[in-house]
Amino acid sequence: MMSALDIPTLKENIDRETVDQVLSLDVDKYKYGFSTDIESDMAPQGLSEDIVRFISAKKNEPQWMLDWRLDAYRRWLTMDEPAWAKVHYPQLDFQDMYFYAAPKSTPAPTSLDEVDPELLAMYDKLGIPLKEREILAGVERPNVAVDAVMDSVSVVTTFREELAKVGIIFCSISEAIREHAELVQKYLGSVVPVTDNYYATLNSAVFTDGSFVYIPKGVRCPMELSTYFRINEKKTGQFERTLIIAEDDSYVSYLEGCTAPMRDESQLHAAVVELVALENAEIKYSTVQNWYPGDKDGKGGIYNFVTKRGDCRGNGSKISWTQVETGSAITWKYPSCILRGDNSRGEFYSIAISNGYQQVDSGTKMIHLGKNTSSKIIAKGIAAGFSDNTYRGQVSAHAKAKGARNFTQCDSLLIGDKCGAHTVPYIESRNATAVFEHEATTSKISDDQMFYCQQRGLNEEEAVALIVNGFVRDVLQHLPMEFMVESQKLIAISLEGSVG
Amino acid sequence: MLKPKMPVRLNAAEETLIAQLTGAGDSAQAERLSVTGLPTRRVESYHYTDLKMLLKSVPPLVGAANTASAPALRLAGAYRLLIANGEPQASATAPAGVIVGSSDGAALSVHDDVLVRLNTAFAKKSLSLTLEGTVDPIIQIDRRTEGTAAHSASSARIFVADDSSATILETYSGSDEAHLTNNASYIAVGRNAQVTHITVDLSSDGVTHFATNEYVLAEGAKLRTLAIHAGSALARTQIFAKFAGEGAHADIAGLNLVDDGQHLDFTLDVNHAVPNTTSQEVFKQVGRGRSKAVFQGKIVVARDAQKTDAKMMMQGLMLSDQAEILSKPELEIYADDVVCGHGSTCGELDADSMFYLMSRGISRAEAETMLVRGFLKEVLDPIEDAELNEALTAVVDDWLVGGK
Repeated sequence: MMSALDIPTLKENIDRETVDQVLSLDVDKYKYGFSTDIESDMAPQGLSEDIVRFISAKKNEPQWMLDWRLDAYRRWLTMDEPAWAKVHYPQLDFQDMYFYAAPKSTPAPTSLDEVDPELLAMYDKLGIPLKEREILAGVERPNVAVDAVMDSVSVVTTFREELAKVGIIFCSISEAIREHAELVQKYLGSVVPVTDNYYATLNSAVFTDGSFVYIPKGVRCPMELSTYFRINEKKTGQFERTLIIAEDDSYVSYLEGCTAPMRDESQLHAAVVELVALENAEIKYSTVQNWYPGDKDGKGGIYNFVTKRGDCRGNGSKISWTQVETGSAITWKYPSCILRGDNSRGEFYSIAISNGYQQVDSGTKMIHLGKNTSSKIIAKGIAAGFSDNTYRGQVSAHAKAKGARNFTQCDSLLIGDKCGAHTVPYIESRNATAVFEHEATTSKISDDQMFYCQQRGLNEEEAVALIVNGFVRDVLQHLPMEFMVESQKLIAISLEGSVG
Repeated sequence: MLKPKMPVRLNAAEETLIAQLTGAGDSAQAERLSVTGLPTRRVESYHYTDLKMLLKSVPPLVGAANTASAPALRLAGAYRLLIANGEPQASATAPAGVIVGSSDGAALSVHDDVLVRLNTAFAKKSLSLTLEGTVDPIIQIDRRTEGTAAHSASSARIFVADDSSATILETYSGSDEAHLTNNASYIAVGRNAQVTHITVDLSSDGVTHFATNEYVLAEGAKLRTLAIHAGSALARTQIFAKFAGEGAHADIAGLNLVDDGQHLDFTLDVNHAVPNTTSQEVFKQVGRGRSKAVFQGKIVVARDAQKTDAKMMMQGLMLSDQAEILSKPELEIYADDVVCGHGSTCGELDADSMFYLMSRGISRAEAETMLVRGFLKEVLDPIEDAELNEALTAVVDDWLVGGK
């Protein structure tokens, strides 16, 4: 292939940057598509009760955890894969997957120095908000505590001591199972029950790692907490499990970022995230997901089948989900809020961008159970290429949820005439005092907008990126600073090649 | 993988239906139903109307009508056609431009829907109607189920010729028994033709009423529909509208008046299959007592249907604490140069408005009636024919004052 350097002379009024830009479009654009050569410790292929026992044994889990897993596995065997989402994919063969892969060189790292340099180099390449390098170099700036999960094992947790000073527990879930069993036993599966759905049940049986956060009473977490997920090993499913507990009057903001290397086979990612907010507690959960979406012919890519749910258990509690979904071949994800406590509040802000042959079926659920609960949903879907982008959301008010209030706005933008944008809201009011409003629009970028931008010297792609960033602005501003900048770039990258 | 598949356990209603299908010589449908059973909430299009749970039993297939109840709605100037127990009856001399006949078999096109399949299996005869030119009198199709509780299927096929105009009113009623009726109307609207089609369910308390209204719109056609639910215990009206010609427009409206003990469902599927078509859907639901009001509306814009303009609105009003309003307004869009939107709101009567009226000496009940009437007016107003508008307003008023 030609590179920019092979062009001896440039035509007038075309600068080199433009040429580079165009040439760079030829190659596959997934900039996180590399795999790190780290020896992995893997479980035998396939899924059986023995594999569940193997995973549990590998992690030195207590008996109660193994029993919990086995119970989930047995239930899973009797369940059917859900078929209601607007996504199509070949039948998954669970016997062809590996359910456990741990980077071998990191049995129990205690500090970053002990971590395999190749691993660090990989984070370096990723370069998104975590900035591990800067942490290594002793740069004070990033006030982000990182719990990185590579394939299935939490590799390192930074800033733990600083957090421990205020009583915050931030560690991997496996560690929490060993060291904080009483908390895990009390809350694990209390928001997403073992039997919740096909993928959540599968996760309950074979989850390998994830993050555990506990914020004690009255503590405002002094920094943003962050996990980093990355699928590295071939044919592995990543089944992480995250549990966040915010005690009375506490606050935490949690960031999650996901990437995966380029692989031919489709990889399965079935995570479960549970949030528990007690009296007047607030949890803010932000996700930027750019798993490998498959190549330009729709081959490969991650199947992202995720169950995320928050329980506003105490009065006056608040849970806010913000997500930027640009990756994965298939996204099946509905971060939800159960508004159980009186005066509790749920929020969902989402940007879902699909290009190529991606399929997105994502949205939220706001289940109003307590009195005077309120929720707000802002969802922006952008479909380009041959993709399908579906918003699916449920808002329901229980008979006892007096004064429940919801506002929903979902807007879709279509770029090109080969894609699809769909809206499927379920609005269920079982209470006369509940007030629900829902509106949805679908449109395309108008020729006037494009003309205006291009007339001012932007090329077509830049113009689209600018307009799209404007379209999603009211969601972007709910992201923490680190993610906001990254997301804007991500949106531009995701939409490359979608016009013209 | 070992996955024990649970075979569908058939309930009494399903078993009766299977026996009736076998008796009617449709072994293929009988076989199909015995495998799938009636749809449950897991079937998306029946998410809020779980037929397996709601349909407890199916009465025996209907025989010929020997007795006659009074028409549920009388319009002085209308040309009335009667379908009794599924059988089109002889009618008076048709007015100019109206050709009445009947044909064997059912009228609906093939849809992947159990009610359509059952209607197709059981409707032996369809009323056929061709309307040409400006048809002055309102055509009323009066569908009644008489005698003891029965399972009855009725069908009508209506062609409105190019450049013609007509107003069709369909009413459903009958004897005071727990019938199961499955009604179908297929209406083809010709080029530049203008049609108003109104259906009113006034069946008695114990009835299970199903209706499927299928519309096909040719180039430049204009369609206005209004479906009113004001009877039955369990009712579902399915509206399938397909735009087959450019420049066509449809106003599709519905009024769901749901009282204590009722479960009434509107399911809508509007298919913009060609470019340059427009539609506007307005549905209003009022719930009283312990009741369920369901609206499922889907607008589909096909890949090439550029310049589609479709707007859908559902507004729900809850007059009691046990009323439920369940709504699923869907957009499924495959073309990019379109303007589509939907809105859905739901709440109770505005306290300020109530206070305003009551502070002027109007009783609570009366104030409530006034406000609900105002809320529903938007749907009734576009019906231009004064006599018809009056008759429909009376249906609404009867419901408003006739709280159970």
